Amino acid sequence: MASAELLQTLGNKYSAEILDATDEPISAQDLSDELEIPIATCYRRIDELTEHDLLELHDNILSDDRRRIKVYRRNVDEVRVGFDDGLSVHVEERSEVTNKLDEAWRTLSDR
Amino acid sequence: MIQLTKTGIDGLDEILNGGIVKDSTTLISGNPGAGKSILCLQYIYNGVEKFDEKGIYLSFEENQKDLRQAAESIGFDKWPEYVENGDIKVYDKQVLLRENDFSSSLEILLDDLEDDEYDRLVLDSLAMFQLFFESEKEKRTYLLKLTDILRENGLTTLMTNEQGAVFPETEIGLENYLTDGNIYLIQTPTDSGVSRYIWVAKMRKQNTETDIYPMEIDWGGIKVHQNASAFSMMSEEESPI
Repeated sequence: MASAELLQTLGNKYSAEILDATDEPISAQDLSDELEIPIATCYRRIDELTEHDLLELHDNILSDDRRRIKVYRRNVDEVRVGFDDGLSVHVEERSEVTNKLDEAWRTLSDR
Repeated sequence: MIQLTKTGIDGLDEILNGGIVKDSTTLISGNPGAGKSILCLQYIYNGVEKFDEKGIYLSFEENQKDLRQAAESIGFDKWPEYVENGDIKVYDKQVLLRENDFSSSLEILLDDLEDDEYDRLVLDSLAMFQLFFESEKEKRTYLLKLTDILRENGLTTLMTNEQGAVFPETEIGLENYLTDGNIYLIQTPTDSGVSRYIWVAKMRKQNTETDIYPMEIDWGGIKVHQNASAFSMMSEEESPI
């Protein structure tokens, strides 16, 4: 079932660390370096988290050597797990206000 | 050469040595009733009337009608006309605080900012804006991002802040460090009413007069008097006004 699957994804090794580190958009390579995660695992976790909307592909930015690189940002502020009426997992998404300001601010640096 | 934005307020531009640095953000602090909103109204109104600069007025504190009445009460008769023809764009509390809808207001606002049509902006008040953020860290981060956005879009901004003057003990909020300038409005009660003062405490990139100056609020708005007083909260008998 979906809730259990979500918890499973969150519980995988490095998932929590990745979400913690993606307050600001960051590339898979930087995540891998910063958190010392093997790059293949890093990509796998990013895929899983993205699939569950916990993480989002934020942008394709131009790297210093003019390659396009994908940067990811977490899409969640809080996760609540309840057992009262059966297992429930509530995901509190990041506030739209902060999202919009982040986006407007990000486009400034692109100019 | 630093470009300056004139407030058009009698006496204030002189203290500021010409005006506020263009594209900067200045915090206007003071107790309730100290004149923060009037100063802001006047800044936006003068922009249109005297300098041909359009303004945006964001108010979490008042609605459209309150603002109009406040403007008219000090003789800014053309306020409704300027709002009508778009020289002044007002986002009032009814718009901004529509339930769960600040983010859509924000989206419209951000579009307006990118239009390059406006030169002046007022945010009344910073405290209300900060309610949309959860932690202190988030408040600071997004205040900085907002000031960046405003600067890059060529807006010279005043933000109001409910905070008394800082003598003698100080508890200066972080927002004071995050903005480019700080102006305090001070009012002290007297037998006959109230004495008002203005203090330009900080202006980045600018030499300003740091004395405390008496001011009054009357028909026509705020007037700042040039004869700096030896400031004393205690004895108001020899008010220099």
